[in-house]
Amino acid sequence: MPIGQRVVFIGGGHNALIAAFYLAKGGFKPLVLERREFVGGGAITEEFHPGFKVSALAHTLGPLRSDVARDLRVENFNCEIIRPDPRVFAPTSGGQALLFYDDHAKTAGGIARFSAKDAAKYTEFAASLSKISSVFAQLCAITPPSIGKPSPEDLWNLLKTGRGVRGLGKHGIFDLLRWGPMAVADFVAEFFETELLRAVIAARGIFGTALGPWSAGSTAVLLLRAAADANPAGSATFSRGGLGAFTHALAEAARQAGVEIRTNTEVQHIRIKNGAAIGVVLADGEEIAVEAVVSGVDPKRTFFQLMDPSQLDPTFALRIRNIRANGNVAKVNFALNELPSFPALAGTVGPDGFRQALSGRIHIGPEIDYLERAFDASKYGEFSAAPFLDITIPSLLDPTLAPAGKHVLSTYVQFAPYKLREGSWSTRGKDLGATVMKTIAEYAPNFPNLVEATQVITPHDLETKYGFTGGQIFHGELALDQLFTMRPVLDWARYRTPIHGLFLCGSGTHPGNGLTGASGANAAREIIRELR
Amino acid sequence: MKPMLSMVPPDPTTLNPRDLKQLHFLMQRFRELSSDERYTLIQLMTMSSADFLDQWFETDVLKATMSASGIIGTFLGIRSPGTAYVLLHHYMGEIDGAFRSWGFSRGGTGAISNAIAAAAREAGVEIRTKAPVGKIVVKNGRAAGVMLQSGEEITANVISSSVDPHLTFEKFLEPSQLPSDFLEGVRRYKFRGSSGKVNIALSALPEFKSIPGDGAHLRGAISISPSMEYMERAYDDAKYGHYSRRPYIDMVIPSLTDPSVAPPGKHVLSCFVQYAPYKLAEGTWDDQREAFGDNVIETIAEYAPNIKDIIIGRQILTPLDLEREFGLTQGNIFQGELSLEQLFFLRPVAGQPGDSQGMEETGGTAAIERSKFFESACGDECSL
Repeated sequence: MPIGQRVVFIGGGHNALIAAFYLAKGGFKPLVLERREFVGGGAITEEFHPGFKVSALAHTLGPLRSDVARDLRVENFNCEIIRPDPRVFAPTSGGQALLFYDDHAKTAGGIARFSAKDAAKYTEFAASLSKISSVFAQLCAITPPSIGKPSPEDLWNLLKTGRGVRGLGKHGIFDLLRWGPMAVADFVAEFFETELLRAVIAARGIFGTALGPWSAGSTAVLLLRAAADANPAGSATFSRGGLGAFTHALAEAARQAGVEIRTNTEVQHIRIKNGAAIGVVLADGEEIAVEAVVSGVDPKRTFFQLMDPSQLDPTFALRIRNIRANGNVAKVNFALNELPSFPALAGTVGPDGFRQALSGRIHIGPEIDYLERAFDASKYGEFSAAPFLDITIPSLLDPTLAPAGKHVLSTYVQFAPYKLREGSWSTRGKDLGATVMKTIAEYAPNFPNLVEATQVITPHDLETKYGFTGGQIFHGELALDQLFTMRPVLDWARYRTPIHGLFLCGSGTHPGNGLTGASGANAAREIIRELR
Repeated sequence: MKPMLSMVPPDPTTLNPRDLKQLHFLMQRFRELSSDERYTLIQLMTMSSADFLDQWFETDVLKATMSASGIIGTFLGIRSPGTAYVLLHHYMGEIDGAFRSWGFSRGGTGAISNAIAAAAREAGVEIRTKAPVGKIVVKNGRAAGVMLQSGEEITANVISSSVDPHLTFEKFLEPSQLPSDFLEGVRRYKFRGSSGKVNIALSALPEFKSIPGDGAHLRGAISISPSMEYMERAYDDAKYGHYSRRPYIDMVIPSLTDPSVAPPGKHVLSCFVQYAPYKLAEGTWDDQREAFGDNVIETIAEYAPNIKDIIIGRQILTPLDLEREFGLTQGNIFQGELSLEQLFFLRPVAGQPGDSQGMEETGGTAAIERSKFFESACGDECSL
């Protein structure tokens, strides 16, 4: 295909924007078609109540893989990254708390109040995690190899990764082999005895998944995330103006590179002829003829809604159908007339430290079994009365989000299964909101009195309003059998599809997961290679 | 998968040609599979048995019963990732060349052990029973023999232990005799017994509501696994330290096929029960034994109401009994969890002493030389 050819992107999420950017740099003419009125996918800002803005879905950044960050330079496009420290505040309902900082020694100081042994182990753990997850970082940057016919590039990548693995030493290699399939509950118990500490670290293995801390494979998810940020508590950065500022900056960088972006433009279906994608048809009937189409939406939507599945090879269609993509997470956003107070902070920081301690993420999930019980409920089609919450109060460091003195509290709620056994999400969303309010009140008793407005985004909303099939925010479950060479399906994990000229670039591809831009960047690399 | 079961697991960390060759053999075999076979194999190694079966079937009780094979002897639920492997494992055996079959032996399972012993004796093996080992004797860093609990010492150049790693390394040896790394690995090895056994002497046959009377349905395994939710809730109880209020039960009535095990007209009902967690949240297994047994009978009575009227006697084996009487640490019937992180070359310990490189690299106060000491069996995953 000659350079200069138009490439259409379906969906304007962060991966699609990043992939389009790279394609433009590679000499192509990308056209991004976004259904909603603004780009961003799961990283957006909404004014959910007059005067109150929130990162409606994702509320913290990836962070972007370093090469992607360097290439796109979002800070040149009106995107200021805010880095709270401490990153995480984790209270118990009994009034104790842990704070997790950038500085491991400082974190260990706080841990010492619970256990001297754990405090001593913490820095060692952080170092182990950093070392092992660096191998995962290498894996995240490569295209999964073809098993049947590995290319020279595949062999080179495997050799490089193999060298990285060998660099871990015998002990490190066995740790990697053991930890990958382990349950996070067992993983954290190898290092620590303090329940609260275990729970905060373990939570990274279950966020956004259908796994509990006792589920095998959850450590692999934790290591995948640690590859992006090796701090044991995870990252807590966000952008001024909410995450919409981040994706707007990506869009601006893309535009400046030569990408055309059209919003309020919905793709109805992909036109396929003789096994090749020859164009897209828009909802208003307009047809755009192209030789390459890149889908940034999830695989199930791509293959079962944007085309006639009878066009697909039956084995491929079966494998896509088998992808587990039932979301297990919801989002609740609150407009508050005041900052809530958390008594558990009183024993940990002085009063002048309260605001700073609340500026990062707040983790509600004080024990491993608490997290497991929250997960149990979802197995039977229910949400738990004691959910795991991942909270931010971004207005503390970004006053532009709320009127003076008022605040926004944004929380992920787990576990909230896409399929409810009783009733439906359209009627039970408010019950979920009430449960979340009650749970927060156990840690911040004055909370319910401060709420001016509540926005509940159920798994059903995630699907119908925001475009995530099954409400699965990663486009497909993060589980051992749906990662790497199995993501989205075996034999088609290299961003290509059986339809000639049709590619995938979203979270449903390797490595998937959070806002790192890795899927989009990897996809762009392969698409350029294929189209040249 | 079959060849892997009879392999000595290669060391994946070494550049030793022998291990590399074996790893290459496995990789080649994997690559020779068709795409469909590879897809299924990867799924079987990573998925839960329930999710795997969801892809094939829709009938709840069918899926529940089949997925039960995925949790036998494990501390996992049917929805736990990794149980599809256990499902595969239970379908990999064979009897008399009939692959994937299970069966009875006349005189009970003991007849099999006795037959193996007879064959061994005929080959020249001397077998002594009532001879409990007290410790393994180590001289100058080499295993030199065993000392029985009676005090009798038996010297030997080679000692092969088929009891579990905890007993072998922590009961029969002193911590100072082992490299600290290795010992740490042994201590990390998970047992997590989850099953109990209830053996009942019956004066008549149980009458099942669903298929009354005698028939072929009583001559195989009778599985109490009515729904996937039932199975998963049984596991949930155990996670928090309770035996399942409504357990999964796998029962056989061997007296129907082999009348030699009971008086005429009477029967034996042998029940394998899950879950019975070794670590209870409240009380001890000695206190809870009878209640556990009662609960099993209550459960069976929901399907065969006459059961309580026909019980002549019962034997209840809790995980604690399995540990005390049968030498199974924490009552785990496979001498260790069949979980992904402790299979193949990770079983029982990564970098085990069967690997000479491993021993040379680990320090410790007293390295035990590979040539004189084998850890030769690890439950179902034999390494020899």
